[in-house]
Amino acid sequence: MNALEGRKVICCVGSGGVGKTTTSAALALKAAVEGKRALVLTIDPARRLANSLGLRSLGNQETRIEAAHFARADLVPRGEMWAMMLDLKRTWDQLVQRSARSPEQAQAILENKIYQTLSTAMAGSLEYMAMEKVYELHSSGKYDVLVLDTPPTSNALDFLHAPDRILDVLDNNAMRLVLGPMLKAGRVGFRLLAAPSSLVLRTLARFTGSDFLRDLAAFMLAFEGMYEGFKERAARVKELLTSPEAGFVLVTSPNPLTTQEALFFHRALESDRIRTAAVVVNRVQRDPRRHGGPDSIEGLREALQLAQLKDENNFAERLCQTLTEQAILADQDRREVDRLRDTLRRVPLFTVPRLRKDVHDLAGLWQIVESLGGD
Amino acid sequence: MPALLDRRLVVVTGKGGTGKSTLSASIALAAARRGKRVLVCEVVAKERVATLFGKPPSGPAIRELLPNLYSVHVRPREAMREYGLMILKYETLYRLAFENAAARYFLAAAPSLAEIVMLGKVWWHATQETERGRPRWDLVLLDAPATGHGLTFLSVPEVFLRLVSEGPLARDMRSMQSLLADPARCSVCIVTIPEEMPANEAIELDRALRQRQFPAGPLFLNEVFASRFTPQELAAVTRGGPLLAAAGESSDNHESRAELSRHYEAVLRDTVPRELSKVPFLFERSFGAQAIDKVSRVIEGVL
Repeated sequence: MNALEGRKVICCVGSGGVGKTTTSAALALKAAVEGKRALVLTIDPARRLANSLGLRSLGNQETRIEAAHFARADLVPRGEMWAMMLDLKRTWDQLVQRSARSPEQAQAILENKIYQTLSTAMAGSLEYMAMEKVYELHSSGKYDVLVLDTPPTSNALDFLHAPDRILDVLDNNAMRLVLGPMLKAGRVGFRLLAAPSSLVLRTLARFTGSDFLRDLAAFMLAFEGMYEGFKERAARVKELLTSPEAGFVLVTSPNPLTTQEALFFHRALESDRIRTAAVVVNRVQRDPRRHGGPDSIEGLREALQLAQLKDENNFAERLCQTLTEQAILADQDRREVDRLRDTLRRVPLFTVPRLRKDVHDLAGLWQIVESLGGD
Repeated sequence: MPALLDRRLVVVTGKGGTGKSTLSASIALAAARRGKRVLVCEVVAKERVATLFGKPPSGPAIRELLPNLYSVHVRPREAMREYGLMILKYETLYRLAFENAAARYFLAAAPSLAEIVMLGKVWWHATQETERGRPRWDLVLLDAPATGHGLTFLSVPEVFLRLVSEGPLARDMRSMQSLLADPARCSVCIVTIPEEMPANEAIELDRALRQRQFPAGPLFLNEVFASRFTPQELAAVTRGGPLLAAAGESSDNHESRAELSRHYEAVLRDTVPRELSKVPFLFERSFGAQAIDKVSRVIEGVL
């Protein structure tokens, strides 16, 4: 995969269920075997990477894949392969602790109800922290290559714009606009106004009750002075992701719905001036007809006879049905791959054949690496 | 406990790419065939169900796809507006409160407000009554987001109520929560396929859903391959020489997928305490109304 030569950060993006995690792990494995120090960063919920690496748990620390795993797959890595599972809450907490001006300020934020929701349940939070972690790891200089397995975002735009959305929430100016009167009162002794005074606030309070507004104001006070730092850091993250050091790999399967989403994703990246570095189409059915040979019941019956096999229990008929079905799958997959190739002309495209077994060890990952060999 | 199709709200969730929309469409079709008025609510960014029936996307307005079968694409913007108007009654007041910079900020800060109003709209449809006091819809189907997001989506009332305990939204959230927890009115189904990660996700999702006490609906195992050749037949044909190479490879592929199907069916039956319904892999040149009809008949047993 020359398309990724020299990239230090590789982001695998695409819709759920297309094999992003195995592709990410395969890319890290490839880099490790080639002599790089490579780390793959994945997202917690389904413990996916643990599955594909044969690890019981990735905890949430940088874990080196043991030599024994490589030996079992007959591989000799010239570099190192590391893996890490993102812990959303801990990444947020660390970011707050690092950015706070005093331990007291950090404590006040960590204990705030709004912060707790923001850092665990808010949409976009996971995407933001994934990028934050990549940036942190990149800055540490410990790795030559970082591969990010992004969260399965249903909306392509969510991924790149997640930090902006979260930052909007943390923006003091906007907050001041809404909560102005409450904030002023707060600053003098933390006694927040009991009732929101403006018409807008009163109307909004009809939806959520005024407790929420009070919590929001408290959060804002606790966050005082930290927004600029967050914003600056997010800008640097974005800069890194749009630089030539980073490469986006579009991962998809040959299903019409997922290729449609992949194209949608590609356009979304483009509108952010990010070029797709490569496309990986997983689980492509190979066409059995490439072997030639008969594909009709009659023809198969003759072939069975020639091979001195009996045509018992409609053997030829069952073979014919199976061949036809597998050919349908191959046709469907080819159509989708062609569609991607036609639309994304300048982007190198790789197809990974459907493997006979689930990938759950380095040997399985290596099979994928081999498909990623030539453009 | 009432049969699946006799509930008010049926939620379909599972890993992305396992066929949630196909199953939602099929359950809806089966219900419509029994003479029920059914509404499918789609809440993810891209609408799919109408297309499966060969119809143009419904968009944010309810559209009839087939007799008795309707669909709607629930989007945050429109849902917010509808919901806001329901509570505030006056358009001008809504505009004043919601269509300004401050409110946009507020809407971004309120946790998962987009999800709240979307779920709120689904809940509203599920409990809506006609003038004569009869339910407007016999059955509302929620084609929910994939696993992680799906769980977040269904947990939105709980998360919200932790932050906000008064006001009309909190009141509605409580009512939503009780609908989602009531096995007489609601059921949450899982869709998966016989592959390692989707199966593992289904197991974790089942556990998480039961922990949060969502009424457990069936587990649909989609894309199942049934074995077609004996091991002897397979061995013979794969060693049958160049003339049988294509047939041999095809049979080998088929049997390896049948083996996966068998394996994961056994694993799922062991670990997931739900009714399991197998849906065969369909080799359709184009996946449309016919395929949905087939699936809807295969799953009749658990409906």
